[in-house]
Amino acid sequence: MVAPELDDMFAPDVIADPYSHYARLRTSDPVHWNDRYQLWVITRHDDIVWMIRHHELFSSAVIRNDPRPPYPPVDPGDLSLVGYVRAFRADQLVEHDRPGHLAMRQVMHGYFTPKAMESWRPFVRRAVTELLDEARARGRMDVLTDLAAPLPVRVITQMMGVPPEDREHLRELADKLLHINRGEPDRLRPLTEGMRGMLEYVEPLVESRLARPGADFISVLAQGEKAGVLTRHQVLVNTALLLFAGHETTMNLICNGTLALIRHPDQWARLRADPAAAAPAATEECLRYDPPVKSTQRIASADVELRGKQLRKHDRIRWAIASANRDPAVFPEPDRFDIGRHPNPHVAFGAGIHFCLGVTLARLEGQEVFRALAERFPALHLESDRLEYQPSIQFRSLKALPVGWS
Amino acid sequence: MERKLRVWVDHGACVGNGTCLTIAPAVFVHNADRQSEVADPAGDSAARILAAAESCPVSAIHVEDAASGERLFP
Repeated sequence: MVAPELDDMFAPDVIADPYSHYARLRTSDPVHWNDRYQLWVITRHDDIVWMIRHHELFSSAVIRNDPRPPYPPVDPGDLSLVGYVRAFRADQLVEHDRPGHLAMRQVMHGYFTPKAMESWRPFVRRAVTELLDEARARGRMDVLTDLAAPLPVRVITQMMGVPPEDREHLRELADKLLHINRGEPDRLRPLTEGMRGMLEYVEPLVESRLARPGADFISVLAQGEKAGVLTRHQVLVNTALLLFAGHETTMNLICNGTLALIRHPDQWARLRADPAAAAPAATEECLRYDPPVKSTQRIASADVELRGKQLRKHDRIRWAIASANRDPAVFPEPDRFDIGRHPNPHVAFGAGIHFCLGVTLARLEGQEVFRALAERFPALHLESDRLEYQPSIQFRSLKALPVGWS
Repeated sequence: MERKLRVWVDHGACVGNGTCLTIAPAVFVHNADRQSEVADPAGDSAARILAAAESCPVSAIHVEDAASGERLFP
Protein backbone atom coordinates (compact mmCIF):
# COMPACT_ATOMS: atom_id res chain seq x y z
CA MET A 1 0.00 0.00 0.00
CA VAL A 2 1.15 3.51 -0.78
CA ALA A 3 0.78 6.16 1.87
CA PRO A 4 -2.07 8.56 1.09
CA GLU A 5 0.27 11.56 1.08
CA LEU A 6 1.79 10.15 -2.12
CA ASP A 7 -1.43 11.21 -3.82
CA ASP A 8 -0.87 14.94 -3.34
CA MET A 9 0.73 15.64 -6.71
CA PHE A 10 0.72 19.39 -6.05
CA ALA A 11 2.44 19.23 -2.64
CA PRO A 12 5.33 21.73 -2.55
CA ASP A 13 7.95 19.03 -1.95
CA VAL A 14 6.65 17.01 -4.91
CA ILE A 15 6.69 20.07 -7.18
CA ALA A 16 10.25 20.81 -6.01
CA ASP A 17 11.47 17.22 -6.44
CA PRO A 18 9.13 15.02 -8.47
CA TYR A 19 11.80 12.35 -8.96
CA SER A 20 11.82 10.98 -5.40
CA HIS A 21 8.04 10.95 -5.48
CA TYR A 22 7.96 9.03 -8.78
CA ALA A 23 10.66 6.62 -7.60
CA ARG A 24 8.55 5.68 -4.57
CA LEU A 25 5.53 5.07 -6.79
CA ARG A 26 7.53 3.17 -9.43
CA THR A 27 8.99 0.85 -6.80
CA SER A 28 5.91 0.28 -4.68
CA ASP A 29 2.93 0.63 -7.01
CA PRO A 30 3.76 1.35 -10.68
CA VAL A 31 0.11 1.31 -11.75
CA HIS A 32 -1.26 3.44 -8.95
CA TRP A 33 -4.80 4.57 -8.27
CA ASN A 34 -4.56 8.14 -6.97
CA ASP A 35 -7.63 8.37 -4.76
CA ARG A 36 -7.35 12.07 -4.10
CA TYR A 37 -7.58 13.06 -7.79
CA GLN A 38 -9.38 9.90 -8.93
CA LEU A 39 -6.91 8.87 -11.63
CA TRP A 40 -4.32 6.25 -12.50
CA VAL A 41 -0.66 7.23 -12.28
CA ILE A 42 1.70 5.12 -14.43
CA THR A 43 5.42 5.28 -13.68
CA ARG A 44 7.33 2.45 -15.42
CA HIS A 45 9.06 3.01 -18.78
CA ASP A 46 7.82 -0.24 -20.36
CA ASP A 47 4.20 0.32 -19.30
CA ILE A 48 4.22 3.90 -20.54
CA VAL A 49 5.72 3.02 -23.94
CA TRP A 50 3.19 0.21 -24.35
CA MET A 51 0.30 2.48 -23.42
CA ILE A 52 1.43 5.39 -25.62
CA ARG A 53 1.67 3.09 -28.63
CA HIS A 54 -1.79 1.60 -28.01
CA HIS A 55 -3.63 4.81 -28.79
CA GLU A 56 -6.86 2.93 -29.52
CA LEU A 57 -7.04 1.89 -25.85
CA PHE A 58 -6.06 5.24 -24.33
CA SER A 59 -7.78 8.24 -25.82
CA SER A 60 -6.15 11.61 -26.24
CA ALA A 61 -9.57 13.23 -26.60
CA VAL A 62 -9.60 13.85 -22.86
CA ILE A 63 -11.70 16.98 -23.09
CA ARG A 64 -14.43 15.37 -25.20
CA ASN A 65 -14.50 12.14 -23.22
CA ASP A 66 -14.24 13.51 -19.70
CA PRO A 67 -17.17 15.56 -18.43
CA ARG A 68 -15.78 15.71 -14.88
CA PRO A 69 -14.69 19.07 -13.47
CA PRO A 70 -11.05 20.21 -13.73
CA TYR A 71 -8.53 19.22 -11.06
CA PRO A 72 -7.43 20.72 -8.81
CA PRO A 73 -10.65 22.75 -8.42
CA VAL A 74 -10.96 26.24 -9.86
CA ASP A 75 -12.52 29.28 -8.18
CA PRO A 76 -16.33 28.81 -8.12
CA GLY A 77 -16.71 32.22 -9.75
CA ASP A 78 -14.69 31.02 -12.75
CA LEU A 79 -16.78 27.95 -13.50
CA SER A 80 -18.43 29.82 -16.38
CA LEU A 81 -15.01 29.87 -18.11
CA VAL A 82 -14.70 26.08 -18.06
CA GLY A 83 -16.90 25.65 -21.14
CA TYR A 84 -14.87 28.16 -23.15
CA VAL A 85 -11.58 26.49 -22.26
CA ARG A 86 -12.96 23.05 -23.05
CA ALA A 87 -14.26 24.12 -26.49
CA PHE A 88 -10.92 25.75 -27.27
CA ARG A 89 -8.81 22.79 -26.23
CA ALA A 90 -11.08 20.14 -27.74
CA ASP A 91 -10.30 21.45 -31.26
CA GLN A 92 -6.52 21.13 -30.85
CA LEU A 93 -4.61 18.38 -32.65
CA VAL A 94 -3.37 16.88 -29.38
CA GLU A 95 -6.97 16.34 -28.21
CA HIS A 96 -7.87 14.08 -31.15
CA ASP A 97 -7.91 10.36 -31.79
CA ARG A 98 -7.84 8.63 -35.14
CA PRO A 99 -9.20 9.07 -37.72
CA GLY A 100 -9.59 12.82 -37.08
CA HIS A 101 -6.09 13.09 -35.65
CA LEU A 102 -4.53 11.57 -38.77
CA ALA A 103 -6.35 13.94 -41.11
CA MET A 104 -5.28 16.97 -39.05
CA ARG A 105 -1.71 15.76 -38.67
CA GLN A 106 -1.44 15.16 -42.42
CA VAL A 107 -2.22 18.84 -42.97
CA MET A 108 0.67 19.82 -40.70
CA HIS A 109 3.31 17.13 -40.90
CA GLY A 110 4.97 18.25 -44.14
CA TYR A 111 5.83 21.50 -42.41
CA PHE A 112 7.61 19.66 -39.57
CA THR A 113 9.76 17.05 -41.34
CA PRO A 114 13.32 16.76 -39.99
CA LYS A 115 14.71 18.27 -43.20
CA ALA A 116 12.30 21.22 -43.14
CA MET A 117 13.00 21.90 -39.46
CA GLU A 118 16.77 21.55 -39.87
CA SER A 119 16.60 24.47 -42.30
CA TRP A 120 15.70 26.65 -39.28
CA ARG A 121 19.09 26.06 -37.62
CA PRO A 122 20.78 29.21 -39.01
CA PHE A 123 17.86 31.36 -37.82
CA VAL A 124 18.00 29.75 -34.36
CA ARG A 125 21.78 30.14 -34.16
CA ARG A 126 21.52 33.84 -35.05
CA ALA A 127 18.76 34.39 -32.49
CA VAL A 128 20.79 32.66 -29.75
CA THR A 129 23.82 34.80 -30.62
CA GLU A 130 21.76 38.00 -30.44
CA LEU A 131 20.12 37.10 -27.13
CA LEU A 132 23.48 36.16 -25.57
CA ASP A 133 25.06 39.38 -26.92
CA GLU A 134 22.33 41.35 -25.14
CA ALA A 135 22.85 39.36 -21.93
CA ARG A 136 26.61 39.89 -22.03
CA ALA A 137 26.12 43.64 -22.52
CA ARG A 138 23.81 43.71 -19.48
CA GLY A 139 26.32 41.72 -17.44
CA ARG A 140 23.71 39.37 -15.95
CA MET A 141 21.09 36.95 -17.20
CA ASP A 142 17.95 35.23 -16.07
CA VAL A 143 18.12 32.27 -18.41
CA LEU A 144 14.32 32.06 -18.35
CA THR A 145 13.34 35.61 -19.29
CA ASP A 146 16.43 36.59 -21.28
CA LEU A 147 17.01 33.44 -23.35
CA ALA A 148 14.65 30.50 -22.86
CA ALA A 149 11.38 32.44 -23.26
CA PRO A 150 12.28 34.87 -26.08
CA LEU A 151 14.02 32.27 -28.27
CA PRO A 152 11.01 30.05 -29.05
CA VAL A 153 8.76 33.10 -29.40
CA ARG A 154 11.14 34.48 -32.06
CA VAL A 155 11.14 31.19 -33.91
CA ILE A 156 7.37 30.68 -33.70
CA THR A 157 6.48 34.24 -34.73
CA GLN A 158 8.77 33.77 -37.73
CA MET A 159 6.99 30.49 -38.49
CA MET A 160 3.65 32.28 -38.26
CA GLY A 161 4.99 34.85 -40.70
CA VAL A 162 4.24 37.84 -38.47
CA PRO A 163 6.44 40.93 -38.06
CA PRO A 164 9.05 41.20 -35.25
CA GLU A 165 7.16 44.12 -33.67
CA ASP A 166 4.33 41.70 -32.82
CA ARG A 167 6.65 39.46 -30.78
CA GLU A 168 6.04 41.22 -27.49
CA HIS A 169 2.26 40.93 -27.85
CA LEU A 170 2.54 37.24 -28.70
CA ARG A 171 4.88 36.67 -25.81
CA GLU A 172 2.33 38.19 -23.44
CA LEU A 173 -0.34 35.91 -24.88
CA ALA A 174 1.99 32.92 -24.61
CA ASP A 175 2.64 33.73 -20.94
CA LYS A 176 -1.11 33.65 -20.28
CA LEU A 177 -1.51 30.36 -22.14
CA LEU A 178 1.08 28.85 -19.78
CA HIS A 179 -1.64 28.58 -17.12
CA ILE A 180 -2.95 25.46 -18.83
CA ASN A 181 -2.76 22.48 -16.42
CA ARG A 182 -1.40 24.54 -13.57
CA GLY A 183 -2.71 24.28 -10.04
CA GLU A 184 -3.73 27.83 -9.11
CA PRO A 185 -7.50 28.12 -8.44
CA ASP A 186 -7.68 31.36 -10.48
CA ARG A 187 -5.75 29.95 -13.47
CA LEU A 188 -8.70 30.05 -15.88
CA ARG A 189 -8.78 33.85 -16.01
CA PRO A 190 -5.33 34.46 -17.55
CA LEU A 191 -5.75 31.30 -19.61
CA THR A 192 -8.98 32.48 -21.25
CA GLU A 193 -7.49 35.95 -21.81
CA GLY A 194 -4.63 34.28 -23.67
CA MET A 195 -6.99 32.09 -25.68
CA ARG A 196 -9.29 34.97 -26.65
CA GLY A 197 -6.30 37.15 -27.49
CA MET A 198 -4.89 34.47 -29.78
CA LEU A 199 -8.20 34.04 -31.64
CA GLU A 200 -8.48 37.80 -32.17
CA TYR A 201 -4.89 38.10 -33.32
CA VAL A 202 -4.84 35.10 -35.65
CA GLU A 203 -8.25 35.46 -37.36
CA PRO A 204 -7.30 38.32 -39.73
CA LEU A 205 -4.01 36.54 -40.51
CA VAL A 206 -5.95 33.47 -41.66
CA GLU A 207 -8.08 35.63 -43.96
CA SER A 208 -5.00 37.18 -45.53
CA ARG A 209 -3.29 33.77 -45.95
CA LEU A 210 -6.39 32.34 -47.62
CA ALA A 211 -6.18 35.17 -50.14
CA ARG A 212 -2.38 35.03 -50.52
CA PRO A 213 -0.84 31.79 -49.25
CA GLY A 214 2.78 31.93 -48.13
CA ALA A 215 5.33 29.45 -46.79
CA ASP A 216 4.31 30.10 -43.15
CA PHE A 217 2.51 27.80 -40.73
CA ILE A 218 -0.76 29.75 -40.74
CA SER A 219 -0.87 29.34 -44.53
CA VAL A 220 -0.46 25.59 -44.05
CA LEU A 221 -3.47 25.50 -41.70
CA ALA A 222 -5.45 27.85 -43.95
CA GLN A 223 -4.94 25.41 -46.82
CA GLY A 224 -6.30 22.71 -44.53
CA GLU A 225 -9.41 24.84 -44.06
CA LYS A 226 -9.71 25.37 -47.79
CA ALA A 227 -9.47 21.61 -48.35
CA GLY A 228 -12.28 21.03 -45.87
CA VAL A 229 -10.14 19.17 -43.31
CA LEU A 230 -10.05 21.91 -40.68
CA THR A 231 -12.74 24.28 -39.45
CA ARG A 232 -11.87 27.94 -38.91
CA HIS A 233 -11.87 27.41 -35.15
CA GLN A 234 -9.45 24.49 -35.59
CA VAL A 235 -7.13 26.69 -37.65
CA LEU A 236 -7.15 29.33 -34.92
CA VAL A 237 -6.68 27.05 -31.92
CA ASN A 238 -3.95 25.04 -33.64
CA THR A 239 -2.02 28.21 -34.37
CA ALA A 240 -2.34 28.91 -30.65
CA LEU A 241 -1.17 25.34 -29.99
CA LEU A 242 1.98 25.98 -32.00
CA LEU A 243 2.73 29.01 -29.85
CA PHE A 244 1.80 27.31 -26.60
CA ALA A 245 3.37 23.91 -27.21
CA GLY A 246 6.55 25.31 -28.66
CA HIS A 247 6.99 28.00 -26.03
CA GLU A 248 6.66 26.35 -22.65
CA THR A 249 8.38 23.09 -23.62
CA THR A 250 11.41 24.76 -25.22
CA MET A 251 11.66 27.15 -22.30
CA ASN A 252 11.79 24.23 -19.90
CA LEU A 253 14.31 22.30 -21.99
CA ILE A 254 16.67 25.27 -21.98
CA CYS A 255 16.26 26.13 -18.28
CA ASN A 256 16.28 22.57 -16.93
CA GLY A 257 19.17 21.59 -19.18
CA THR A 258 21.24 24.65 -18.25
CA LEU A 259 20.59 23.98 -14.58
CA ALA A 260 21.64 20.32 -14.89
CA LEU A 261 24.83 21.33 -16.68
CA ILE A 262 25.70 23.94 -14.03
CA ARG A 263 25.00 21.49 -11.20
CA HIS A 264 27.30 18.85 -12.73
CA PRO A 265 30.67 20.57 -13.27
CA ASP A 266 32.28 17.39 -14.65
CA GLN A 267 29.62 17.17 -17.37
CA TRP A 268 29.85 20.92 -18.05
CA ALA A 269 33.60 20.44 -18.56
CA ARG A 270 32.92 17.59 -21.02
CA LEU A 271 30.59 19.83 -23.02
CA ARG A 272 33.07 22.72 -22.96
CA ALA A 273 35.85 20.48 -24.28
CA ASP A 274 34.05 20.12 -27.63
CA PRO A 275 30.71 21.96 -27.60
CA ALA A 276 29.70 21.34 -31.21
CA ALA A 277 30.35 17.61 -31.07
CA ALA A 278 28.95 17.04 -27.56
CA ALA A 279 25.80 19.16 -27.82
CA PRO A 280 23.47 16.62 -29.53
CA ALA A 281 23.96 13.83 -26.95
CA ALA A 282 24.02 16.39 -24.11
CA THR A 283 20.65 17.71 -25.28
CA GLU A 284 19.21 14.17 -25.23
CA GLU A 285 20.49 13.67 -21.69
CA CYS A 286 18.95 16.98 -20.60
CA LEU A 287 15.66 15.79 -22.12
CA ARG A 288 15.92 12.53 -20.19
CA TYR A 289 17.22 13.81 -16.87
CA ASP A 290 14.80 16.69 -16.29
CA PRO A 291 12.26 16.71 -19.14
CA PRO A 292 10.11 19.74 -20.04
CA VAL A 293 6.92 17.70 -19.68
CA LYS A 294 6.64 15.61 -16.51
CA SER A 295 3.41 13.84 -17.31
CA THR A 296 0.59 13.73 -19.81
CA GLN A 297 -2.99 12.59 -19.57
CA ARG A 298 -5.22 10.15 -21.38
CA ILE A 299 -8.61 8.61 -20.79
CA ALA A 300 -9.25 4.87 -21.08
CA SER A 301 -11.25 3.93 -24.20
CA ALA A 302 -11.78 0.37 -22.98
CA ASP A 303 -11.37 -1.81 -19.90
CA VAL A 304 -7.68 -2.75 -19.71
CA GLU A 305 -5.84 -4.89 -17.19
CA LEU A 306 -2.31 -3.77 -16.38
CA ARG A 307 -0.04 -5.34 -13.73
CA GLY A 308 -3.05 -6.93 -12.10
CA LYS A 309 -4.97 -3.66 -11.88
CA GLN A 310 -8.26 -3.20 -13.67
CA LEU A 311 -8.46 0.08 -15.57
CA ARG A 312 -12.03 0.86 -16.59
CA LYS A 313 -13.31 2.63 -19.67
CA HIS A 314 -13.48 6.42 -19.00
CA ASP A 315 -10.90 6.25 -16.18
CA ARG A 316 -8.51 9.18 -16.07
CA ILE A 317 -4.87 8.25 -16.62
CA ARG A 318 -1.70 10.26 -16.12
CA TRP A 319 1.58 8.76 -17.21
CA ALA A 320 4.81 10.14 -15.85
CA ILE A 321 7.33 10.68 -18.62
CA ALA A 322 9.76 12.04 -16.04
CA SER A 323 9.51 8.75 -14.13
CA ALA A 324 9.99 6.58 -17.24
CA ASN A 325 13.15 8.57 -17.96
CA ARG A 326 14.57 7.55 -14.56
CA ASP A 327 13.50 3.91 -14.68
CA PRO A 328 16.49 1.75 -13.62
CA ALA A 329 15.12 -1.13 -15.69
CA VAL A 330 16.02 0.87 -18.81
CA PHE A 331 18.72 3.36 -17.76
CA PRO A 332 21.79 2.22 -15.77
CA GLU A 333 22.34 4.63 -12.85
CA PRO A 334 19.25 6.60 -13.87
CA ASP A 335 19.84 9.46 -11.43
CA ARG A 336 23.30 10.13 -12.85
CA PHE A 337 23.50 13.00 -15.37
CA ASP A 338 25.76 11.72 -18.16
CA ILE A 339 25.92 13.83 -21.33
CA GLY A 340 27.48 10.95 -23.27
CA ARG A 341 24.75 8.44 -22.35
CA HIS A 342 24.09 5.95 -25.14
CA PRO A 343 21.66 4.51 -25.91
CA ASN A 344 19.21 7.02 -24.48
CA PRO A 345 15.66 5.86 -25.21
CA HIS A 346 13.99 8.60 -23.16
CA VAL A 347 10.35 9.42 -23.77
CA ALA A 348 10.54 13.20 -23.36
CA PHE A 349 8.78 13.60 -26.73
CA GLY A 350 6.31 10.78 -26.09
CA ALA A 351 5.94 8.04 -28.71
CA GLY A 352 3.37 6.60 -31.09
CA ILE A 353 0.97 8.62 -33.21
CA HIS A 354 1.15 11.67 -30.91
CA PHE A 355 4.97 11.79 -30.87
CA CYS A 356 5.98 15.46 -30.66
CA LEU A 357 5.53 17.18 -34.02
CA GLY A 358 8.16 19.79 -33.12
CA VAL A 359 10.82 17.26 -32.07
CA THR A 360 13.51 18.28 -34.57
CA LEU A 361 13.06 21.96 -33.82
CA ALA A 362 13.17 21.41 -30.06
CA ARG A 363 16.34 19.34 -30.38
CA LEU A 364 18.13 21.88 -32.51
CA GLU A 365 17.11 24.77 -30.24
CA GLY A 366 18.53 22.86 -27.26
CA GLN A 367 21.71 21.96 -29.16
CA GLU A 368 22.32 25.54 -30.28
CA VAL A 369 21.74 26.97 -26.80
CA PHE A 370 23.91 24.47 -24.88
CA ARG A 371 26.65 24.75 -27.47
CA ALA A 372 26.64 28.57 -27.39
CA LEU A 373 26.59 28.70 -23.57
CA ALA A 374 29.56 26.33 -23.38
CA GLU A 375 31.49 28.29 -26.00
CA ARG A 376 30.78 31.78 -24.69
CA PHE A 377 30.19 31.42 -20.93
CA PRO A 378 32.63 28.77 -19.67
CA ALA A 379 32.39 30.05 -16.08
CA LEU A 380 28.58 29.86 -15.99
CA HIS A 381 27.25 29.54 -12.43
CA LEU A 382 24.06 30.01 -10.43
CA GLU A 383 23.35 33.41 -8.87
CA SER A 384 20.64 32.02 -6.58
CA ASP A 385 20.47 29.06 -4.24
CA ARG A 386 16.66 29.14 -4.10
CA LEU A 387 15.06 27.90 -7.28
CA GLU A 388 11.30 27.49 -7.50
CA TYR A 389 9.05 25.63 -9.91
CA GLN A 390 5.57 26.46 -11.19
CA PRO A 391 2.81 24.46 -9.47
CA SER A 392 2.10 22.23 -12.47
CA ILE A 393 1.84 18.46 -12.67
CA GLN A 394 2.30 18.54 -16.44
CA PHE A 395 5.25 20.91 -16.89
CA ARG A 396 8.61 21.09 -15.15
CA SER A 397 8.91 24.87 -15.25
CA LEU A 398 11.38 26.97 -13.31
CA LYS A 399 10.12 30.40 -12.24
CA ALA A 400 13.55 31.98 -12.79
CA LEU A 401 17.15 30.91 -13.40
CA PRO A 402 19.58 33.75 -12.60
CA VAL A 403 23.15 33.04 -13.65
CA GLY A 404 26.52 34.79 -13.79
CA TRP A 405 29.71 34.06 -15.71
CA SER A 406 32.56 35.93 -14.11
CA MET B 1 11.86 -0.44 -64.84
CA GLU B 2 11.65 0.86 -61.27
CA ARG B 3 14.89 0.43 -59.36
CA LYS B 4 15.01 -2.05 -56.50
CA LEU B 5 15.48 -0.66 -53.02
CA ARG B 6 16.81 -2.08 -49.81
CA VAL B 7 14.72 -0.63 -46.98
CA TRP B 8 15.00 -1.19 -43.24
CA VAL B 9 13.87 0.43 -40.00
CA ASP B 10 16.23 1.17 -37.11
CA HIS B 11 14.33 -0.09 -34.06
CA GLY B 12 16.63 1.82 -31.74
CA ALA B 13 15.20 5.00 -33.24
CA CYS B 14 11.63 4.10 -34.32
CA VAL B 15 9.04 5.60 -31.95
CA GLY B 16 6.03 3.97 -33.60
CA ASN B 17 4.71 7.25 -35.00
CA GLY B 18 3.20 5.36 -37.93
CA THR B 19 3.67 8.11 -40.53
CA CYS B 20 5.37 5.62 -42.88
CA LEU B 21 2.36 3.29 -42.67
CA THR B 22 0.03 6.06 -43.78
CA ILE B 23 2.27 7.07 -46.72
CA ALA B 24 3.29 3.61 -47.98
CA PRO B 25 0.95 1.06 -46.33
CA ALA B 26 1.97 -1.74 -48.69
CA VAL B 27 5.61 -1.37 -47.65
CA PHE B 28 5.51 -0.72 -43.91
CA VAL B 29 3.63 -2.55 -41.16
CA HIS B 30 3.67 -2.35 -37.38
CA ASN B 31 5.07 -5.31 -35.42
CA ALA B 32 3.75 -6.52 -32.07
CA ASP B 33 5.68 -3.72 -30.30
CA ARG B 34 4.07 -1.15 -32.61
CA GLN B 35 7.35 -0.36 -34.30
CA SER B 36 7.55 -0.18 -38.08
CA GLU B 37 8.88 -3.06 -40.16
CA VAL B 38 9.31 -3.50 -43.87
CA ALA B 39 6.76 -6.00 -45.22
CA ASP B 40 7.53 -5.51 -48.90
CA PRO B 41 10.29 -3.20 -50.14
CA ALA B 42 8.78 -3.39 -53.64
CA GLY B 43 5.25 -2.63 -52.41
CA ASP B 44 5.25 0.95 -53.67
CA SER B 45 7.18 3.31 -55.91
CA ALA B 46 10.68 4.41 -54.94
CA ALA B 47 9.41 7.98 -54.74
CA ARG B 48 6.75 7.04 -52.21
CA ILE B 49 9.15 4.98 -50.10
CA LEU B 50 11.57 7.89 -50.02
CA ALA B 51 8.70 10.23 -49.11
CA ALA B 52 7.87 7.93 -46.18
CA ALA B 53 11.52 7.92 -45.08
CA GLU B 54 11.76 11.70 -45.28
CA SER B 55 8.52 12.10 -43.32
CA CYS B 56 9.68 9.94 -40.41
CA PRO B 57 10.03 12.33 -37.45
CA VAL B 58 13.15 10.54 -36.19
CA SER B 59 14.65 9.49 -39.55
CA ALA B 60 14.52 5.82 -38.54
CA ILE B 61 14.01 4.53 -42.09
CA HIS B 62 17.07 3.67 -44.15
CA VAL B 63 16.89 3.37 -47.93
CA GLU B 64 19.58 2.07 -50.30
CA ASP B 65 19.70 1.20 -53.96
CA ALA B 66 19.71 -2.61 -53.88
CA ALA B 67 21.92 -2.95 -56.95
CA SER B 68 24.58 -0.29 -56.31
CA GLY B 69 24.36 -0.04 -52.50
CA GLU B 70 24.08 3.75 -52.86
CA ARG B 71 22.59 5.32 -49.74
CA LEU B 72 19.43 7.24 -50.64
CA PHE B 73 18.21 8.14 -47.12
CA PRO B 74 19.08 9.50 -44.64
